[in-house]
Amino acid sequence: MTLAKAASMGLGFPNAPVAPVPGHPGLQSKEVLQKNVREVTLAGVIDNLLKAPKPVTLGGEPGARDVICSGSFEEVNEHFIANQLSDGLPIVPPTVEKVEAFLHHTDRQPDEVLGVLLPDNRAATVWSVAVNGVMAGCRPEYMPVLVAAVEAMADHDYGVEHSGNTPGGENLIVLNGPIIKALGFNYTQGVMRDGFQANTTVGRFWRLYLRNVAGFLPHKNDKATFGNTWRVVIAENEDVLAKIGWPPNCTEFGFKAGTNALSIGRYTGGNHISSVSGATPEDVLPYIADAVLRQYSWQIMFTVGQGMGTLRPLLLLSPILAETIAAGGWSKEMFKQKLFDHARMPAREFERILRDWTQKPTWDLAAEHRAGHIPKVFHESDDPERMVPLVFKPEDYMIVVTGDLGRNSCYVFAHNGILGYPVGKEIKLK
Amino acid sequence: MPSSGAAHYDALWPRSPRQAKVKPLAQRLDTLEGKTIAWVWDYVFRGDEVFAQLEKSFKARYPGVKFLSYSEFGNTHSDKEREVVAALPGKLKALGADAVVSGMGC
Repeated sequence: MTLAKAASMGLGFPNAPVAPVPGHPGLQSKEVLQKNVREVTLAGVIDNLLKAPKPVTLGGEPGARDVICSGSFEEVNEHFIANQLSDGLPIVPPTVEKVEAFLHHTDRQPDEVLGVLLPDNRAATVWSVAVNGVMAGCRPEYMPVLVAAVEAMADHDYGVEHSGNTPGGENLIVLNGPIIKALGFNYTQGVMRDGFQANTTVGRFWRLYLRNVAGFLPHKNDKATFGNTWRVVIAENEDVLAKIGWPPNCTEFGFKAGTNALSIGRYTGGNHISSVSGATPEDVLPYIADAVLRQYSWQIMFTVGQGMGTLRPLLLLSPILAETIAAGGWSKEMFKQKLFDHARMPAREFERILRDWTQKPTWDLAAEHRAGHIPKVFHESDDPERMVPLVFKPEDYMIVVTGDLGRNSCYVFAHNGILGYPVGKEIKLK
Repeated sequence: MPSSGAAHYDALWPRSPRQAKVKPLAQRLDTLEGKTIAWVWDYVFRGDEVFAQLEKSFKARYPGVKFLSYSEFGNTHSDKEREVVAALPGKLKALGADAVVSGMGC
C-alpha cells in the first residue's frame, strides 16, 4: 500500500486507488487467502471501480537551483537529514561554488537531461549530478565518472525503477581505462573496502542519487526487506589484463580496451571464495564452478521464468588466479565456456527451485524448450537427472580481474537479472 | 549536532523537477452489471488465485459481469514488461474492457 501510493505519485496519479489483501499472500493457506479476498479485497475493488477518488494536487517544490537551507555545517546537515535528503552520514553542503567546480569538469550543459528516473519521475540533470556529487564528498574531477554512472542508471536495460524491490539488491560500478590511475581508484588489495576516496565517494554518490532524484526512500519507494549498504566502486587491474592478454570488462559493452568506461549491475549479495588452489585451470575449475552454483537460488528465475535469459553472474578473480588460468592457455572466453559447461545442476533441481519460489505447481524445462522460450541446452534429453546450466549462454558470465595481487581467491556476485541488468557507458572527459 | 562555529553555507536543493504532472483518473463505472473487467497481472503474489476469487464473488453480485484474463495481456513484470505495458491501451480497447484491475503489489 505504501509503495503503491508512493509510486503512483511519480506517475502522475497520486490518488490512484488501491485495494489491500490483508497479510502476505505468500504465507497464507488457500482458504485464508480466499477468505481475505472475499471479506476485505472485494469491497475495496468494487469501491475503486464505482467511486471516483477525490482529486488531489501535489505540493510545490523548490526550483532546481534554489537554496533550501542556509547555516552552519551542522545546521545544513540537520536540515538535510530532517528532509530525507541525506543517507544519514554527514554531507558536504552543496553550495553554488562547489557545484560550479564540478561542472567545470564536463562539457555537458548543467540543464542537460541525462534521462528521467522512475519512480519519482524526475529529470536526471547534469546540475543535480554535480549537487549530489558534492554532497557525497567526491572531488570535482570525478564529475565525468558521475555523469557516466547516471547515464547508465537511466538506461532502460538497467531498469532503475526496480531498485526498491523486495530483495534489496545493490548496484556495483566497475571501472576501466586510464582514469583508474588518473583519479586514484583502488584496483588492488581491499578493492571492495571503503577507505579510498574515489572508490568510496562515487559509490556513496550512487545511493544519494537514487534517493534524491530517482526517489528511492526507505519506508516509501524503497521496499527492500533487509537492504544492502551501497557498494564502493571497484576498478579492474588492467596491468594484469595486459600481461595475460584478457580483454577488460568494458569490451563486454562494445568499448575498446583502453577506453574510460564503467559498467553497472545490481546484485543481492555475493560470497568470497577463498583459497582457490591448483597449478592449472583444470585444477581450479571444479571449485570455482561449484562456488558459482552455490550463490544462486531463486535468482535462476531470471534464467527461466520472469527474466528469461537475463541472469549474468559476475566473478571477480584475483590477479594471480587469473594468471594461473591464462597460463594454461585459456582465454577469458574459454573460461566462460568452461563455467557454462561445469556450473550445472540436475534439471529436476532447477525445476524444484523454480517451484519453491513461484508456488507454481509445475515447472517443466522440456515444455519451456518446446515452446521456444529457452535454449536446447536445457532439454538435451528427458532424463530429469540431466545437467543444465545456470545461464542461457557462456557469454552471460562476466569476469573482472581485480583485488589483492598475492592472494588466490575469487568473489561471486548473485545477480538480479532484469532488476538491474548490466549496462556500460563511456566516461567522456572534457 | 553541536555547532562548529563560523562557516556559513547556502545549500542547494539536491532533487530535480518531477516530469509527471497530475493526471485525471478514468471515469468510474455506474454499475458493474454487464461491464467487462480486465485483470492485469505481474505474475507474483498469487494474483491468479486472487483474481479467480474476485471473479467468483463478482459473479454472485453482478451476474452479467464479464472478465478478460491476464493471459490476454502478458506479464507486466518480466523481460518483456515494457512491450507488454506499451501494448495495454490498444489491447484493452480492442477487447472492449470497461475497467482494469492491476495486481499484485506488496
